[in-house]
Amino acid sequence: MKSIKFLHKWLSLLVALQLLIWLGSGLFFNLMDHNKARGNEYRIKAVDLTVIEPARLLSISDILKQQTQPVNSVKQIELLDQPYYLLNHHLGLYKHFYNEHTLINAYTGERIIIDAVMAKAIASRTYSGNNHVSSIVKSSPPVDDFPKEQNTAWQVNFSDDLNTSVYVDASSGRLVGHSNDDKRFADFFFMLHFMDYGSIGSFNNWQIIVFALFTLVFCLTGFIWVIELLRKGRYRLG
Amino acid sequence: MSLHRQSRKYHKWLMLFVGLQFVIWSVTGAYMVIFDIDYIHGDSLVTDKQTFLKSEQIHYSIAQLYTDHPNAKGLELSTLLGAAVYRFNDGKIKYLLSADTGKSLSPINEDYAVLIAKHQYMHDKVTIKQISLIAENPPFELSARYLPVWRIDFDEFASPSFYISVQTGELVTKRHTFWRLFDWMFSFHVMDYVEEDPSNKLLLVFAVLSFVASMFGIVLTYFRVFKQNKQSGNKKLRVRKCA
Repeated sequence: MKSIKFLHKWLSLLVALQLLIWLGSGLFFNLMDHNKARGNEYRIKAVDLTVIEPARLLSISDILKQQTQPVNSVKQIELLDQPYYLLNHHLGLYKHFYNEHTLINAYTGERIIIDAVMAKAIASRTYSGNNHVSSIVKSSPPVDDFPKEQNTAWQVNFSDDLNTSVYVDASSGRLVGHSNDDKRFADFFFMLHFMDYGSIGSFNNWQIIVFALFTLVFCLTGFIWVIELLRKGRYRLG
Repeated sequence: MSLHRQSRKYHKWLMLFVGLQFVIWSVTGAYMVIFDIDYIHGDSLVTDKQTFLKSEQIHYSIAQLYTDHPNAKGLELSTLLGAAVYRFNDGKIKYLLSADTGKSLSPINEDYAVLIAKHQYMHDKVTIKQISLIAENPPFELSARYLPVWRIDFDEFASPSFYISVQTGELVTKRHTFWRLFDWMFSFHVMDYVEEDPSNKLLLVFAVLSFVASMFGIVLTYFRVFKQNKQSGNKKLRVRKCA
């Protein structure tokens, strides 16, 4: 029992601050507005009323023949009321993993590279705020707002009350997501809770593993102490 | 009562109530940070094969497909066990068509599902323990939107299961022992014992009490670590006895 108490005392010194951070940030997650924390205050579903004219669609066989890179899959997508073929050359396990695409106009066969103007238009369709764009930046991964995203994205910044940023995958036109000051505020607490000081969007880092193990011993010794006090009849009312 | 003695009293009593949850938090927290999340999500169970389309595989054109299915949405041409296939939705119905003939390939039968599962599995040689068709009442680990599915259980380390959509032949999700455990750990970590309570008042109460209990703990640390060293040997002995 002496060593249990010794460990508990000295470990408390080591983990005290982090334990308070964990409890405090945990409390924050419990109380925060989960809808705000998602960063989707001004996000709307892009309305696309494209009616496909089958006769105008180019043959995918012919498109494949023209490619110099091998193709995993071809998606028929709509961007800004225009049908496209989205060719995948490198398929990641998930959409946010590294992928390589070619975007081709499905009626004309023209190869499209998504530029700032197009990215802005795509982003605006998913946005319901004041729609004043302050800047458009091409961002290479990782970006702070979406640390797990591995693809280059256009960051379209709106000058609204929440400093909304909309991210559009530069090679596919896929909406990566919306972020704003509410989400960034919540993300700060996640960073603290996960000890993710490098902001890599992960809780599997060495510093948290070390602290988790110390805290585990700390809590176990404390628990044994409580049992010991109970056994010795130290919990007396009055 | 001195601050030291008061803190000891409150720390002792509060920990009687929240101490077990501290152990649960630290055990579940340690589990979640130690196991790599990508491993937990079963990323190492599936191959990352790149299977390429060949133009001569496609005899049923996309124009023909849209003529036959004018309401097709989310259309994708890809491969399934090397064959070119179209997948799309029409309303709530999901389609899987051969890009060679335009004929429907779904519903996927058991043998086909097993072939797909084996093809996607990381290792070439794999033994299958059990195959089951789930059309309703999905297990906890499977979202109802994927139904109906084939569940393929592998006789491998950590009991991996693949869920193959009957309608599309896609691997919709996967699970293994460590992921299943992770889900449990997470539930215990956020004290998700009462599913009907989305605001989770239980967690709130425990978090507040724990915070207060910890503050008293910090006071104790201060007295025992920093103050004690300045005290005489006799006093030191007395404090220890009182603990």
